[in-house]
Amino acid sequence: MNMETIRELQAYGYIFFTIFLAVILYSYLYHLYKAEKKGTRNYEQYSNIALHDNLDDAPVESRTPSNKEKE
Amino acid sequence: MQANHALNYDYSVAKCFTYATILFGIIGMLIGVVIAYQMAFPDLNYLAGEYGTFGRLRPLHTSGVIFGFLLSGIFATWYYVGQRVLKVSMAESPFLMIVGRLHFWIYMITILAAVVTLFMGIGTSKEYAELEWPLDIAVVVLWVLWGISIFGLIGIRREKTLYISMWYYIATFLGVAMLYLFNNMEVPTYFVAGMGKWYHSVSMYAGTNDAMVQWWYGHNAVAFVFTVPIIAMIYYFLPKESGQPVFSYKLSLLSFWGLMFVYLWAGGHHLLYSTVPDWVQTMGSIFSIILILPSWGSAINMLLTMKGQWGQLKENPLIKFMIFASTFYMLSTLEGPIQAIKSVNALAHFTDWIPGHVHDGTLGWVGFMTMAALYHMAPRMYKRELYSKKLMESQFWIQTTGIVMYFSSMWIAGITQGMMWRATDQYGNLAYSFIDTVTVLIPYYALRATGGLLYLIGFFMFAYNLYKTMTVSKAIEREPQNASPMAA
Amino acid sequence: MFHWLEKNPFFFAVGVFLVIAYAGVVTILPDFMESARPVTGTKPYTVLELAGRQIYIKDSCNACHSQLVRPFKSETDRYGMYSLSGEYAYDRPFLWGSKRTGPDLMRVGNYRTTDWHEYHMLAPQSVVPGSIMPAYKHMFKNNTDIETAYAEALTVKKVFNVPYDQPDMPKLGTYDEAKKALMEEAALIVADMKDPEVKEAFKRGEIKEIVAIIAYLNSLK
Repeated sequence: MNMETIRELQAYGYIFFTIFLAVILYSYLYHLYKAEKKGTRNYEQYSNIALHDNLDDAPVESRTPSNKEKE
Repeated sequence: MQANHALNYDYSVAKCFTYATILFGIIGMLIGVVIAYQMAFPDLNYLAGEYGTFGRLRPLHTSGVIFGFLLSGIFATWYYVGQRVLKVSMAESPFLMIVGRLHFWIYMITILAAVVTLFMGIGTSKEYAELEWPLDIAVVVLWVLWGISIFGLIGIRREKTLYISMWYYIATFLGVAMLYLFNNMEVPTYFVAGMGKWYHSVSMYAGTNDAMVQWWYGHNAVAFVFTVPIIAMIYYFLPKESGQPVFSYKLSLLSFWGLMFVYLWAGGHHLLYSTVPDWVQTMGSIFSIILILPSWGSAINMLLTMKGQWGQLKENPLIKFMIFASTFYMLSTLEGPIQAIKSVNALAHFTDWIPGHVHDGTLGWVGFMTMAALYHMAPRMYKRELYSKKLMESQFWIQTTGIVMYFSSMWIAGITQGMMWRATDQYGNLAYSFIDTVTVLIPYYALRATGGLLYLIGFFMFAYNLYKTMTVSKAIEREPQNASPMAA
Repeated sequence: MFHWLEKNPFFFAVGVFLVIAYAGVVTILPDFMESARPVTGTKPYTVLELAGRQIYIKDSCNACHSQLVRPFKSETDRYGMYSLSGEYAYDRPFLWGSKRTGPDLMRVGNYRTTDWHEYHMLAPQSVVPGSIMPAYKHMFKNNTDIETAYAEALTVKKVFNVPYDQPDMPKLGTYDEAKKALMEEAALIVADMKDPEVKEAFKRGEIKEIVAIIAYLNSLK
């Protein structure tokens, strides 16, 4: 492969990345708000992971359903 | 949760790393102050024979504060925060306890060996990657142990969702692993030639390629050691200390991916005016400027977390440390992209403005945040209230003065130097010989060193305050929910 | 997809890694492939120069001195021709530096001499009044580690095909041959020096560090 081809590939790499970046970040933003609007997820509640972090505090989202039943 | 009633978070490893943070902080910053004074008063080079010259001490200072002070600070907070946001105690897994202890001891041995070898002048000269190959291997081992500790704890977690701080710790782990491995590729000469010093090695890359790998590492090591883990700290400690939920958790998630996407693309700005094609250099500059967005996303998120609670800034010195840290984060993430603009870079490169910029970030952002984190952890780890609020207040103001003296003198020195190097007389000849551009800076060097000294004094106050907290402070009965208790 | 990533630490880690690794591949690799070819006339270092280079690294000269002349008139006027990528083809590691507390040394061999370096290393202020560089007196006491320098030369020859022992290139040969050539090279430098102890030691067959580092500095052109 000569240097010109490599440079061309590099340029495509850049363009691909820039588009990919824009698409991912915007769709992520869209996803975050849509999930909240539809009520499937409440992202803001996760801040409580830091605020209620004693070992005997109830997890914000328990990992196993059985844990929840025990409480 | 009956079964877990007697269970507590296990802070033994976090405590060990806290001591290491203080120890290496003192060593690293003390050497920093010495070399800063050496630039103003060259006679100070002869305090310890060949082991006391600027050349020997400079790598010790950088490695000491980065891999000694800061890294142990990151580990200390990880062994504290990790358990809490995953809601699982290390004591639940004897395996993870062993890994944690082993991690600490291998770390201590490695860093102490690093201090000794750098004093002796054994190193590869690549900035922030000076260690020779046997120590590089030790670093890899301790990094793998840290990885086991992170993913092991995640494996037994109770909290299903990973808190945003965890994201940043994971990114630190992965980023540094990749960068360190590639930049330290070297061939031990003894095993090829069968003679000479057994620990000597030669870089796998030559010349320009070596420079590219080094600055790819140098730039991104700043990302993954100075930025990412400190954001991990502030996303936990600021909300916890103030009792305020993060202003917008969604913004924190978005900033995370923004930072991951953009940071590594900005590396091109270290290669300005080299043989790299123009458009790659320009892309480097552009991405550096885009980088302001995710950085400020996190910083503003932190400032807005305090919305309506600004009174805490007056009452609680810990909040003051953290808010000041995020303000400085905003300043240095604005200053960096400015220096990445090609015409500014032509002036600023190789001058004192660059160390000035680095220290904005390290003293203001990294140093303040790490100390605030340890202050917050101490009452919970030792079950005693913080020893003295007054001492913290004065420490804050002494260190802030130090930082301001540091960066203002280095701004002036850097720009003066850059302008004098290029100044010409009316016939187009260079106006100054090199030594003219050195002697003019000596007052600024003295000012800078004094700024550093103030910061060091503040650090001693920090160490003393923590020491008293651990030993004689009033015991507290139950763990405080938010604001850390402190005696006047 | 996003939801799933947030819940699966392993795939989350893979995702982060891919994002940062991709950036490395696209920004670094192409320049890497354009592997710096040596400019005509660039030669690998002799063993004595290499030993001097190791001393340069040992005392971190690169903490204050750059070796990179940028393509600006103010720099070419001061230091000479701007640097070309191929001139660094035998530099392992590179020593561009990142800070100019002292002047650039890329072409210092063109305008400084052995005796200038000797005075300067012993007492910088005696030749450059106002200099803030420390004296490096220990270079007059410590012996040069020739074996390690030879080991490095042999390693780069074997592993990276650095053209030692080829027509018009420096000879390396066996250790004894290299040692003999090195003593001859050092003799020329010692002859230009004043320090009686260094001369005395050379007669005994010892090469002080100062001799090697001057050989290296003189080779920078």
